[in-house]
Amino acid sequence: MQPVPGVFEGSANVVAVLVLLAEFGMLRQAVLRDQVRLYALQSLVVSALAAIVAAGRDVPELYALAGLSLALKVVIVPLVVTRLLRDTSEEIAGSGTLGVATSVLVSIVVAGFGFFAVGALGIHSRVLPTTALSLSIAVVLVAFVLMIVRRDVVSQAIGFFSLENGVSLASLVVAAGLPLILEVAFLFDLLVAVVVFGVLMRVHHGRTSSLSTSALTRLRG
Amino acid sequence: MSLLLPIPAVQALQPLTILVAAPGISGVIAKLEARLQGRRGPRILQPYYDLAKLFAKESLAPAGVNAWFLAAPIVAMACYLTVPLLIPVLTTFGLPWGYMGDILGGGFVLSLGSFVVAVAALQTGGPYAQLGASRSKTFAAITEPVVLFVVFSVALVTGTDLPYALAATVRSSASQIVRPAHLLAAGALFLVILYETGRIPVETHTGTNEFGMIEEARSFEHSGPYLALLKWGSACKQLVLYTLLINVFLAPWGLASSAAIGSVALAIVTLVGKALVVGAAVAVIDDSFAKLRLFKITDFVSAAFLLSVVAVFTLYLGGG
Repeated sequence: MQPVPGVFEGSANVVAVLVLLAEFGMLRQAVLRDQVRLYALQSLVVSALAAIVAAGRDVPELYALAGLSLALKVVIVPLVVTRLLRDTSEEIAGSGTLGVATSVLVSIVVAGFGFFAVGALGIHSRVLPTTALSLSIAVVLVAFVLMIVRRDVVSQAIGFFSLENGVSLASLVVAAGLPLILEVAFLFDLLVAVVVFGVLMRVHHGRTSSLSTSALTRLRG
Repeated sequence: MSLLLPIPAVQALQPLTILVAAPGISGVIAKLEARLQGRRGPRILQPYYDLAKLFAKESLAPAGVNAWFLAAPIVAMACYLTVPLLIPVLTTFGLPWGYMGDILGGGFVLSLGSFVVAVAALQTGGPYAQLGASRSKTFAAITEPVVLFVVFSVALVTGTDLPYALAATVRSSASQIVRPAHLLAAGALFLVILYETGRIPVETHTGTNEFGMIEEARSFEHSGPYLALLKWGSACKQLVLYTLLINVFLAPWGLASSAAIGSVALAIVTLVGKALVVGAAVAVIDDSFAKLRLFKITDFVSAAFLLSVVAVFTLYLGGG
């Protein structure tokens, strides 16, 4: 028998678990458009968690962060990526190197490693339970797996963006009181990444007329 | 002061409720599914008429089968009616036989029922029945880890794995309901139930498309009263699993806390109502998803496995 977390901690953990499940959903999803939608959903959940923390723990700066990440990650980034996708007329992601069930099992192992590695650190936070921190590390690691097993530029970009979601979840746990300017700097980092990945997708699709990265292994003389 | 039922009567009412209500639940789901597809659908009582018709027919057995083939439907039915003695169907307090087995024990009894039917199907020599038996055992082995992890998370939450204990824990406070382990384990169990009751996205429940058949194909060689028992049995299994989900995990409210006639009757009505809500959810899922290809079922099961493993992980971290 273990001590039961209170209602606030329990709900916060459920929201953090939802972020992880959305990450796994992106790993499983083969249709690129739906992958982008899942990313938008995940960002929405992270923004909601920021708002919940702002309300429950009385950290009003987080409202601004929640609003900013809502505008940027739920609206702008998915819009930009779907716009890029519209020009490419490719809907299905290139086959992953592993099957769906296998990659889920691999990610469970990787996420478990992240869970217990961070759980063993014993970091405690004023605003959110430690479990949320472990979950955020699991999100980051599963995003790595997503980027490794997928062979198309869009999935890899989405993997990178969702990795940022994991990091902002972690920052909610360990640094909710961090000055707002730092958090906003993170968000603008993401904006830079979006531009870079956008250019990458464009150039790659222009050269090889596919989104698959397997064309990159060919040697050029 | 209301009249108290004798405890053995309440005990007997648990399997009786399941036995009587199960075909009706299937009937409502079939009706609702048809309405969602824009059809009028069969009458809600149609499963009862089907059973009555089958019981009035003669039964034929394929050449070369022995008594096992005929005993299997009866044994399976007995198994499905044993489980309601172990789980809180009507009462919050454990009845005398309620502690005979835990969740794992109930799972074993359910698998035993499905095993005897599979063995009977294997005896027939009919290719479809054998195919169904082989498939159902193969996929049952895949879903087993999910069930085990759900049991683990129950054991970590309550310190025991008695269904009555978990139901009481869930009732005890709001923080028990919102804890992620509970929600994740319930979600995983729901996915397992979709598999076990042969619903979309695993299997089409109605129709005779043998490519996707798993559980439904096993009864092809049975006829007459034996087929009726098999059909009734699978309806009972469905309601037993719904009851497990509702009264242990999702909504263990509305159960009788004493043996008074009024509260037991109310508990029966609530159970049927809650099972209908779950059935409605299942009907919506049936109508809004496509059936998975047979070899994609592992993908579906991996999602359920993910939920149950994350449930255990969060519990070990102390945040579940």
